[in-house]
This record gives sequence, C-alpha cells and structure tokens, in this order.
Amino acid sequence: MTTLPWRSPPDPLTVLATAQRITSDLRDGLTGPRARRATHALRRLFGVPGLGLTDLSGSLLWSGRPGPDDTVAQVLDGVLHTEEAGSAPEVLVLPLHVHDELAGALLVVGDTRGAVAGQAAELVVEALERGRLEASAEQAQQAELRALRAEMSPHFVYNALTVIASLVRSDPDRARELVLDFADYTRYSLARHGEYTVVAEEFRAIETYLALQRAVLGERLRVQVRVAPEVLAVAVPYLVLEPLVENAIRHGIEPRAEAGLVQVHGQAEGNDCVITVEDDGIGMEPTFAADILAGRVTEGGVGLSNVDRRLRDVYGAWYGLTVETGPGAGTRVIVRVPRFQPGVLP
Amino acid sequence: MSLRVLAVDDSQHALDEISRMLREAPEVGEVVEAADALRALKLLQADRFDAVFLDISMPGLDGLELASLLARLSEPPVIVFVTAHDGHAVTAYGIGAVDYLLKPVRTERLSAALAKVAKMATPASRVAPDTMAALPVEVGGRTRYVRRDDVLFVEAHGDYVRLHTKVGVHLVRMPISRLEEYWEGTGFSRVHRGFLLAVGAVQELRSDTAGGLLAHTEAGDVPVSRRHARDLRDRLLEAAQRGQLGPGR
Repeated sequence: MTTLPWRSPPDPLTVLATAQRITSDLRDGLTGPRARRATHALRRLFGVPGLGLTDLSGSLLWSGRPGPDDTVAQVLDGVLHTEEAGSAPEVLVLPLHVHDELAGALLVVGDTRGAVAGQAAELVVEALERGRLEASAEQAQQAELRALRAEMSPHFVYNALTVIASLVRSDPDRARELVLDFADYTRYSLARHGEYTVVAEEFRAIETYLALQRAVLGERLRVQVRVAPEVLAVAVPYLVLEPLVENAIRHGIEPRAEAGLVQVHGQAEGNDCVITVEDDGIGMEPTFAADILAGRVTEGGVGLSNVDRRLRDVYGAWYGLTVETGPGAGTRVIVRVPRFQPGVLP
Repeated sequence: MSLRVLAVDDSQHALDEISRMLREAPEVGEVVEAADALRALKLLQADRFDAVFLDISMPGLDGLELASLLARLSEPPVIVFVTAHDGHAVTAYGIGAVDYLLKPVRTERLSAALAKVAKMATPASRVAPDTMAALPVEVGGRTRYVRRDDVLFVEAHGDYVRLHTKVGVHLVRMPISRLEEYWEGTGFSRVHRGFLLAVGAVQELRSDTAGGLLAHTEAGDVPVSRRHARDLRDRLLEAAQRGQLGPGR
C-alpha cells in the first residue's frame, strides 16, 4: 500500500475536499455512475486495506483488497437480514440506513477499529440522504413547472367559448376562424413536448390569444405587437408571455369603460432578448406590484409571480421580471433573458 | 394541376370537413372518401391517386400502418397526415409523409400542403437558371443594373414592378408573378398578392388591432396577407435559427 499524503500529518483541506467529492459522487446512489470512484476515495480517506459498498440488489463494489468471498457473503447476508453490524476475522460489515430504511452495507477489510468504519458509514449515509433530498427537490420543482404550464385561465376560456357560441348563429365564418384559434390556443397551452420553446412560438401563441381576446372585448381592446426577427429563435420556457398579456388585459383594460391599448415588443439588446408587455390602464402602487411579484398577494397576480419564479429558476437571480408602474400610469412588465444560455434548448 | 385525392378518416364529420376543404382547393380535381383503412387500401389498389390525406388514429389498421403499406407500392401516392394530436410527427415524417396537418385544419395550412403535393406530383420540375441576379433599369435615359441583393421588397404595379432598395425605387417592366418565379429560392417570399419580400430585409414584424401583419424594412412597411403570415413567420424563424439575420442586410 502506498503512503498517502494525509496519513501523517493529515492535511485538513485535502481531507475536506476528498470527503466533499465522495458526497458528490454518491449523489446518484450506491449503484450510480460515480459510485466506484467514491469507493476508492473512501478507502484512501480512511486508510484501510479494502473497502466495499453494496446496495440491496447484491452488486458489490470493491476497492483495494476484497475480503474472502465465502466469509463476506455469509456476514453480509446476516447484516442485510438483521440490519445490525456483523464481523468476521479481518472483515467488518456495517448496515447503511438512509432515512431509517436499509439501503445497503459498507464492508471494511483489515484490522480496523470499529469507530473508523462507523465514521465511514456515517459519511456514506449522509451523502445518500443528501442525494435523495436533492432528487426529490428537483422532482418537486419539475412538478411545479408542469403545474404552472397547465394553467389556462377559466375566465378567459369560458368568455371565448361564449363569444364563439353566439357567433355560430350570427357569423359562422368568424366563428369557424375563432374555433381554429381556440384549437391553437389550447394546443399550445397543453403542449408537453419539452420545457422550452422559442420566442417565435411564444409570439404566435399571444397573437392567437389576442385574436380571441379581441373577439371577447371588441373595440375596447387595441393591440400592437412588434418583434424583431433576430430574437425569434431565442429559447425560453413555455408560456412566459401569455400570462403577462393576460395580466395586462385583466388589470389594464377590463376594469375600464373606455378603450385601452396593449403593446408587446420583442427586440435584441446586446446579448439579451428583451420583451416588454405594456398597457395604458389603471396601473398600481409600485409597492403593490412588488408584492405581486414576490407572491405576497395572490389576487390576480399569480401568473406574474409564477413567470418571475420560472425565469429566475432557469436563468438565475438576475433574470426575473421588472415591473414599471404607478397609479393611473399604466403598467409595463419587462422580460429580459440571455439570447444564448447553455442548457436551454427548445 | 388537377389532383386526384383520397381522404381517409373514420369520423364522418372530420371526413366531410377535410373533403369539403379539398374540393374547394383550386389544385384539387377529384376527391374520393374512405371511412376506414381497409376501404382506402381497396380503392388505392384499384385506382391511381396523386395524394392521400390520412387520419392517424383509426380502429383496426391505423394511418401510420396504412402509410407503411402504401410506401411499398410501385407508384406510391403522396401522403399527408391529418391528425388531432401532434405526438406522431416524427414517425409520420419517418414514413415519408410530405406534410402533417393538425385538426381542426386551417385553409392556409391545407394550401401549403397541397403546394407540396403538387410539387411532388410533377416530377422534374423546371429549374430556373439564375439569370435574374440583376435587373436593368432606366435612370435618366441610361441603363443601369439593380442587384437582387440590394432589393428589400418588390411592389406590383400593373405590368410593372417597383423595386424598393435602400437608396431608391426603380420601375421595371415585368409582372410580379414572373419575377417571383425567377427569384423563388433566393430568399424572396410572396407575402401578399402585390408584394414580394426579401426575408432577410425584415427588421420587425408588426401586427395591430385589426389583426393585420406588416413587415417593417429599411425601405418601408410591407403588408403580409393572412394566408402568407404563417409561412413568413416560419421562414424568419428558420433564418434566425441559422443565424442569417442581423441588423442591416
């Protein structure tokens, strides 16, 4: 066995770095792709002649000198059944309990003190528990994204259907056109092909949405949409723009008797793609807007804080929504996303 | 062009709808209907069709299976799938379908699909030689040439066209449809009955309350008709994905 730098005297930084790497390597479990590397690192860290890890499936990873097959199999079998530590000459087997549930066992070969093996087992268990927590946090986030995406506003859906029902009698051609728009709208909202789309599709979706809203609101809604071609291919999460446009209409246009204008504008600014959604409606106190973004008030603003959270999740803390508003001054919501982001592909 | 088309769908209303739309299309001469895949197969063995508009989800033999069988015919018809759900697109193109329509079908999408069918059904279509890379114009009694690459858009003006460039407008005696034939495939798109647009010249797409679409260029705004809007958006997205767009062409 080679003498390792930390055997004497131990360098705390090296020890810490090694432990961290072991934790990270065991994130995907005892059979993960990097479990073998973790086994080697563990053996070197604790300075034992042989060390093995096994999960409940019976596959056994060894580093260094393996214990005698028969003895190991016998002791291991006992440990996995009794869930208590077991030993034979030169072999020590400790059960690994992850969140109080048996997940596998740690095997140590050589003349080792029980305390050393115990510490090794503790390190492995902590790594596995952390891995599980991270995995479940990720699943929860995925589930939340899915839930957010599925959110179609019932208010809008039934208003649109009501208009179509009426037009079927008075103007069948227009009704047919709106049914086609409605099909496009629901198809996009229910889309499940991936997490990301492109700005072009987001704009197409809001054009469809606005066509339906114009049928619902008639002359009261005026619309202006402008987009520069160079941002069309920028990848963004699904349904980022539509909640903002919906918000502009619900809070900027619907409460008022007179007509209102909603403007959507997409352009490139250096390495960013900047999209603004603006209404000339009643506006609000900036502090109230901040509360909506932070999710502290849920009244009507759920869509906004959802979009904000999703953008920050994907692009980092710098890339949330910006809201510019004041009472009577209309509202402008600005989305800023990087034009090229590694890992964000439609 | 007078296409012979078979429409296949197990839902009677859907079959009525696609058949009606096909009969209204100028490219289509005759439409035969089949309410299931087996009936379709019999018709196809007995007779020749230019294209089959095929529903995917049908009881018994489904549209994808029928299409794979058809692919083995010596002169297979062109296949266009018509389906409610877009989860099959990859498989559909794998089988060799030329297009993939989503129900309910828009008239514009159907015309685009028929254009593809017509192209497939006329083999060895003429390839226009690149003879019109520059057009002669009269300026102050002298002949000069306007390069195609300098033209941002073309406006129809009776038997003439106006070529709009950054530095001015030039009148050329040629119908816009003829110029469209010459310049098709060189980055120009007929976005309106009266306008031919250089896709790369678009600086901004603008739409307004009435739902009308305008393409803004350095030489002015070009109207985009509803039936060409989708095609232009698709071509702009393609160009953006290839990184062929930038400020100033």
